[in-house]
Amino acid sequence: MGNDKFVEVKNLKKVYNNGHEAIKDVSFSVKKGDLVCLLGPSGCGKTTILNILAGLLSPTSGDILFDGKSVVKTAPKDRHIGYVFQNYSLYPHMSVLQNVMFPLVVGKNKKPKAEAKKIAEKYMKLAQISDLADQRPHNLSGGQQQRVAIARALVGEPKILLMDEPLSNLDARLRLKIREEIRSLVKEVGITTLFVTHDQEEALSIGDKIILFNDGVIQQDDLGQNFYLKPNNYFVANFVGNPVIDNFKVKKDDGKIKAKDFEINVDDLDQDRFKREIPDGDYILSVRPENILPDENGGLPVHVDDIELIGRERILKFEHDGKQARSLVDLEAPIKVGDDIKLKMRLDRIFLFTPDGERVY
Amino acid sequence: MKTNQKKAWLFLAPTIIFVTFFSIYPILRAFVMSFQSGSLINLSWSGLSNYQYLFKDPEFWLAIKNTALYALISVPIGLAISILLAWIIFSKVKHKSFFETTFFMPYVTSTIAIGIVFRYIFNGDYGLLNFVLRCLHLPAPIWIDDPSMSLTTIIIFGIWTSLAFNIVILMGALRNIDPNFYTVADMYGASGAEKFWRITMPELIPTLAFLLTMNIIGAFKVYTSVYALFNGQAGVGNSGTTAVFYIYNKFQIVGTPGVAMAATVVLFLIILFITFLQRKMMKKIGEN
Repeated sequence: MGNDKFVEVKNLKKVYNNGHEAIKDVSFSVKKGDLVCLLGPSGCGKTTILNILAGLLSPTSGDILFDGKSVVKTAPKDRHIGYVFQNYSLYPHMSVLQNVMFPLVVGKNKKPKAEAKKIAEKYMKLAQISDLADQRPHNLSGGQQQRVAIARALVGEPKILLMDEPLSNLDARLRLKIREEIRSLVKEVGITTLFVTHDQEEALSIGDKIILFNDGVIQQDDLGQNFYLKPNNYFVANFVGNPVIDNFKVKKDDGKIKAKDFEINVDDLDQDRFKREIPDGDYILSVRPENILPDENGGLPVHVDDIELIGRERILKFEHDGKQARSLVDLEAPIKVGDDIKLKMRLDRIFLFTPDGERVY
Repeated sequence: MKTNQKKAWLFLAPTIIFVTFFSIYPILRAFVMSFQSGSLINLSWSGLSNYQYLFKDPEFWLAIKNTALYALISVPIGLAISILLAWIIFSKVKHKSFFETTFFMPYVTSTIAIGIVFRYIFNGDYGLLNFVLRCLHLPAPIWIDDPSMSLTTIIIFGIWTSLAFNIVILMGALRNIDPNFYTVADMYGASGAEKFWRITMPELIPTLAFLLTMNIIGAFKVYTSVYALFNGQAGVGNSGTTAVFYIYNKFQIVGTPGVAMAATVVLFLIILFITFLQRKMMKKIGEN
């Protein structure tokens, strides 16, 4: 089989014993050597998928292929995977070296101690923890423990590396540093990696590709930038992006899209972006705060309720039709709380969704 | 600062008074009495004569020998069986809490009561144990009434009574081991034995150190089970006498409190020394 489908998941379903349907018909594939992020809110099924891939859980139905071969009936130890747990699960009574060596000195294919030590030392060097060899895990910082866990996952030379929220126990600054390190490390080793996270920023920064889940269903399986530029549906548009996207209730009627205080001629929109003919009726118009900006000739008059500073930019907060919305402006824009201003949206950057979330523009 | 100090002493006072009267004073008193002879109401200084008597008394040496044998045999075997049972209950048995409660019951039952029941179980003629042994065509010894079997009987009983406490504590320790440790091990194909020796045992070391200390101290103070098993005696012809039984006998029956206290001091020093040795040993194991 080709390298394009090194990991292939087909029609995967998982229903837990209590009847909870964690995964509903999920299919995706991962290219050899890629780092793919499984992204989604808590309880969306992403960790369940990782555990099924690892063999810690068995699927209710569906198939998983590694390098073209079905592994659904293969025991975890024979799947050639490395797994990094969320809390690392390092053995507290073993030194760093013993922890990293562990996968090599147990099981049927265990290696002689000297050989195992040599391999372990190679991966400890890669993970930059050689000087910690004799330390116990409880003497290490979170970042160091993280590296030990990764070295232990890689030491068996697996074909696939699975990581379950590996950065969630680290503080914000360290997280930025470690995620870059993880990316360069797995790229250096060339291992195919699946990385579970609930942090979109993390996913966007390290993933070659992102698969966004919600409610046990794939919402979008795409390159990072497309989640911004071409969201598949209302959920994706609202999940990705910070500050979150603005949503306005609109009505299409008489060749116009009308909301409280503003209207847009359908003819002014980019006709190529329509996914299909849309009948008159209720829709949701969404626009990212950076694409709705103060303008003398803007069609939407608003009253600035609050201003939040986020580094280089400021978020103007205003109320429209009972809901809060935002505009992202430059730090030096001369606008104060309480000002009445006019806003203009970039019509080629707005999205239209049906009330049940389908994107039509 | 001054008032704070006063308040601190006030709060500490109940404990200090309690400990002084019920722990420190008896220890000092025992130490002093070990250099005195006569009856309790008429003591006089006699120097080291109690100790001289003690070291020449063959019964004292038998008591020490029995106690040491009892500790050295019953504690390791008891602990090993406890680990095995705890591990089986923990990893193989459903309804763990039921078994845990069952195993803990002997601990909350009086040793005297259990000892009396065991006297019937151990009975040479109509005891349950010998009934089973005869059914299996094994030799059925005279557990209670044969002087050469006394210590063996005490040891078997001691092992049995030590299980309850050990198992419950070990179950708690097993429950505290992160289940992911085993998931990781499974992932790399570790066998059941490898998981036990490489993960479970090292994780249990601190608990085992605690249990070993408690068990050894308990074993050196063994008395109640002897009393219950042999109906207030120390076996036929005192064959099953132990250090504390010797002390009790010299104090209560023979009426030589000085000798009893000298034996107490010796036993105290032995336990102190062994505990100290054990701590050193465990520290070494912990470091590796």
